[in-house]
Amino acid sequence: MALEALHGITRYHSKNEMLRDEMMIPDMENLSNQCQLAIPSIPKGEVNVGEYLVDETGRKIKLNYAHGTTTLGFKFDGGVIMAVDSRATSGQYIGSGNVKKIIEINPYLLGTMAGGAADCTYWERVLAKQCRIYELRNRERISVAAASKLLANMVYQYKGYGLSMGVMIAGWDKKGPGLYYVDNDGNRMPGNAFSVGSGSIYAYGVLDSGYSKDLSDAEAQELGRRAIYHATHRDAYSGGIVRVYHIKEDGWIKISEEDCKDLHYKYADEKSAFS
Amino acid sequence: MPDFSEIFSLQSILNYNGGCVVAMRGKNCVAIACDLRFGVQAQTISTDFERVFEVGPHLYIGLPGLATDTQTVFQRLQFRIKMYEMREGRRVKPRTLMAMVQNLLYERRFGPYFVEPVIAGLHPTTKEPYICALDLIGCECEPEDFVVSGTCSESLYGMCETTWREDMEPDDLFECISQSLVNAFDRDALSGWGAVVHVIEQDKVTTRYLKCRQD
Amino acid sequence: MDSLEDIHTGFQFSNFARNETLVAKGFPMPKSRKTGTTIAGVVFKDGVVLGADTRATEGDIIADKNCSKIHYLQPNMYCCGAGTAADLVMTTQLMASQLELHRLNTGRQVPVVAANRMLKQMLFRYQGYIGAALVLGGVDKHGSHIYSIHPHGSTDRLPYTTMGSGSLAAMSVFEVHWKPDLELEEAKQLVRDAIAGGIFNDLGSGSNVDLCIITKDGATMLRPYDVANVKGQRQGKYIYKTGTTDILSTSVRPIQIVSETVRKVGEEEMETA
Repeated sequence: MALEALHGITRYHSKNEMLRDEMMIPDMENLSNQCQLAIPSIPKGEVNVGEYLVDETGRKIKLNYAHGTTTLGFKFDGGVIMAVDSRATSGQYIGSGNVKKIIEINPYLLGTMAGGAADCTYWERVLAKQCRIYELRNRERISVAAASKLLANMVYQYKGYGLSMGVMIAGWDKKGPGLYYVDNDGNRMPGNAFSVGSGSIYAYGVLDSGYSKDLSDAEAQELGRRAIYHATHRDAYSGGIVRVYHIKEDGWIKISEEDCKDLHYKYADEKSAFS
Repeated sequence: MPDFSEIFSLQSILNYNGGCVVAMRGKNCVAIACDLRFGVQAQTISTDFERVFEVGPHLYIGLPGLATDTQTVFQRLQFRIKMYEMREGRRVKPRTLMAMVQNLLYERRFGPYFVEPVIAGLHPTTKEPYICALDLIGCECEPEDFVVSGTCSESLYGMCETTWREDMEPDDLFECISQSLVNAFDRDALSGWGAVVHVIEQDKVTTRYLKCRQD
Repeated sequence: MDSLEDIHTGFQFSNFARNETLVAKGFPMPKSRKTGTTIAGVVFKDGVVLGADTRATEGDIIADKNCSKIHYLQPNMYCCGAGTAADLVMTTQLMASQLELHRLNTGRQVPVVAANRMLKQMLFRYQGYIGAALVLGGVDKHGSHIYSIHPHGSTDRLPYTTMGSGSLAAMSVFEVHWKPDLELEEAKQLVRDAIAGGIFNDLGSGSNVDLCIITKDGATMLRPYDVANVKGQRQGKYIYKTGTTDILSTSVRPIQIVSETVRKVGEEEMETA
């Protein structure tokens, strides 16, 4: 009792009120509703929660794993190519070299991961559930447009609270191949080619120079692979394994998973054989 | 689009360009090795930037840190070494070089160069192995086993602590230092992209370039 | 400027503005090596005993597990240091040479008070920017002396003292067990216990105990006097077989001796008269 008084907690007015509170198990909100995160009791908009992630010496506390990344996706006549690296860093330390940055939402939908790894995996898992519920309710697959909008709407609820994600949602639906970019600011846009992450500038360079609508499947896959490989070479925070996925009418297939070291020396040999 | 580069901006200037150096003592030999990356924060500019320099037949110095200071300190040091050798008419000894670097760095105690040098060599007459590391204002550290410096020094400490043994022959020393260096910088985003290892023996210096990850 | 380089004496500030700009831009100044340190000194019946741990730290990593913190000043005078490692090395080196010049000029053993005075005057001039906290100990014709010298230049003459981050742990040992006119063995044990107190209770101190015993007959360094932390034996073997590492290219540069001349030089005493 003394402790309660010290904390300024008022006593329960009635027995019922106390019972109700005791039956409510705290921190269970997102088990019943995944879109309900425990948010700090600060009015939204007044403060950026991200600013609170600072320790007593003023140093930023690194909560986000996998900040540095290179991911890309592009549409062409043969479908959608998605390619990613596999490095996870916290600061300059390489935490892991074989992260799966392509999230397989269902056999027709893929999501990529850039920004906070936890944010991306969590929200794309929620998205996977929502997509399945949609299928069961409507007896048809969800469109890429609708799936990406579900995700965008979910993360928009938490705008300004410090979520960090820049993802691409790609798939095949009634309208054919679809590719959308969604991020934590609430952006959602369709497009033919995107690259997201710290190595994206390098990936864009290769992608733009080699891109055309009428690439063959093999050419498109190689373009995605090369773009990621070159980004891993230049960008310190990207590396590990280059994973390439191809989405066609009958769903996605995993094309390759190759170590950057093998790729580098393979390309180097090809280059010296050519010249 | 979220700015992913922002999170990396607040870090030590010693890590601005990346890079690391390690030196080890063996039986009648020493080895010194470095990575080859020259970057500007996340961006890799070139992969042939050697930060270990020869300053005598049996004497090498590694200067990891801010690349501009790596070059400035080396040039100023070379000037002092040449002046010393002309004045004295003899080669500079490893410990003399250490004192020289120490003076050079401590002179700028209140406005330091951002380098943390590593020295490895054999005494010109006794052939006694010598290794030493200095901090950025010139405090020396002369241990019996190994010295590390640069952006992945923590990983290097871990690798060297487990792999180093007493009285290694030149071939064993080479494997030990190479594996320590490569495995340490493969866990560091800011160093790697190739490595060079010098094994210094009484009658020869063997320089090897290693096949490394390029990401 | 290079040709002028050797004429300059004292500190150089040419990088100062650049470094301050970097700090303002959000690159904090890198940490220099610190000694963390427990150092101590006591006066006993026939002289003084100085003691120190052997850990050097850089932030939260141990940079040196067996560094020497007891510095030579004169044959009858040694000095333990705590604080910024480079400052300690350079300050004691400078003092050793200044004291030697003083000895040569005066032609007699330098008294410990003189060393204390020179150190405090130097440190006071730098207003604490030279981060050296010292325990100075020595024996001269006036007797045995221990001084503690703080970075800003204040000094105390004491029968026993401690310094560094482990000073409280070490001082608690002295406060209980120190008494006037200790025997040598008692004094050695007391200083060892004090330093061990720092090693085990202060995170900035660790590894071994170094001692230095100074009597009117001279100084003896005991390094290490006691290995307080015996390193465990490594169980596994981590040996890489030759050929493990992939090599791109190898170049071997033989060191050929073109000519060799051996010139015998007799040991010549330096002119000191």
